[in-house]
Amino acid sequence: MPRSPANPDADPLALDDETLERLLTGELSPAQAPPGYAEVAALLAATAAPPTPDELAGQAAALAELRAATRPRRAVVGFRRAAAPRRRRVGLVAAALVGALAMGGVAAAATGNVPAPLRDAARSIMATVGGAAPAPPGSRTAPGPTPASAGQAPGSTGPGTGAAGSGPGSTAAGTAPGLDNEGLCKAYLAGQGAEQGAKLDATAFQALAELAGGRDKIASYCERLLPGGDKPKKDKKPPPPPPDDPGQGQGGAAGQPQEGPPVTTGAGGQGQRAPGASPPGR
Amino acid sequence: MIGPEFEDVLRAAAGGDEEAFGRLWRDLQPRLLRYFRVVSPAVAEDLASETWLGVIRGINRFRGNEPAFRAWVFTIARHELLDWRRRAARRATEDLPANGLLEQAAPDDPAASALEYLSTQAALAEVATLPPDQAEAIVLRVVAGLGVDRVAAIMDKRPGTVRVLTHRGLRRLAERLGSDQIRGVV
Repeated sequence: MPRSPANPDADPLALDDETLERLLTGELSPAQAPPGYAEVAALLAATAAPPTPDELAGQAAALAELRAATRPRRAVVGFRRAAAPRRRRVGLVAAALVGALAMGGVAAAATGNVPAPLRDAARSIMATVGGAAPAPPGSRTAPGPTPASAGQAPGSTGPGTGAAGSGPGSTAAGTAPGLDNEGLCKAYLAGQGAEQGAKLDATAFQALAELAGGRDKIASYCERLLPGGDKPKKDKKPPPPPPDDPGQGQGGAAGQPQEGPPVTTGAGGQGQRAPGASPPGR
Repeated sequence: MIGPEFEDVLRAAAGGDEEAFGRLWRDLQPRLLRYFRVVSPAVAEDLASETWLGVIRGINRFRGNEPAFRAWVFTIARHELLDWRRRAARRATEDLPANGLLEQAAPDDPAASALEYLSTQAALAEVATLPPDQAEAIVLRVVAGLGVDRVAAIMDKRPGTVRVLTHRGLRRLAERLGSDQIRGVV
């Protein structure tokens, strides 16, 4: 969108999109801000200043919550998925039988002249309910697929909606300089060691140099900034991920990502037949 | 911001590693507190704690890079906010100082030295006097460091709307704080 310079006669405080963006990301210092916005730029910088000790005071309590939640949670995860498919199958079978029942009852369907899929479905219903399914004449096995397996929706899940995930234009650079100093310093120190080479790119390096008051001052600035004992541990191996990790969905959307495949009755209605209509021949 | 190590840190934290989780916590907790101090000051710490419970519950299933993770955490935070608003009989505004920054800067100081008096809490209090949507949009962009599209998804608005909200909010702040030479039409 072509930008025209703000017309001073119209609204001296109007901002074009780019300037607005640069103010919000902290790229414009008070000295660089448009007229009337120096104080605003300073205010925004103050909201994003480095953490204060009282803001970091609750860490122990948070770790206690993590400990409390981690252990028992894993035991529960495995069970839920097993239940869903069975429920779904019974639903489909029940629906498919509506037509058979209209023609004379489950028992008749189990033995009578109905298509094998419905007969098998009737038998499985009777088995579930506890009645003995009558043996079919000639003891034929069911050649065709049952409606249950044919209609069963695939067990894969759709990916998470990702609505809050990757917006195409969103460069969430997280450039609140105060709060990100720790990250910048860690990357700088890691690069200095030249072991795993987590180097800063030019603009980040420049920002860090500005903060430190000079390129030669970055090292001592970062030493002071990082809390004691919190130097990046480059050779520490993280523990392996939990084995029962469902590994699905993208966390970008809801605060409570759903677990397990969505339970639907899939082709629930399709077994219905109008009374009097003859069933399709096999 | 964690930076290049983020994926390792996330995986470790999801596995229960306390040092890794601590790093995520230290990066995000101040931002969460400041967000809640603007949108729900009376219960800022409570809602931040509730947010972390939600993070702990879901972290094993989260997949994504660092900005996506931050956006996810703030989505949880917003749900906590909305739940609280539904439960609360009225918004708690009694914590906000009446004039925010204006009390702190000497009136005849040049703008440059007045800026030295800005503290984070005063700045947040000033933002909190804006209309709620404008305040929230600004905090999510500036303090949470999220891009327009992610903020839009979190607030359930269009990106264009988020831009307008932040523009109006900053403009209002400029009218209130700006130096005398340039003033908007009131």
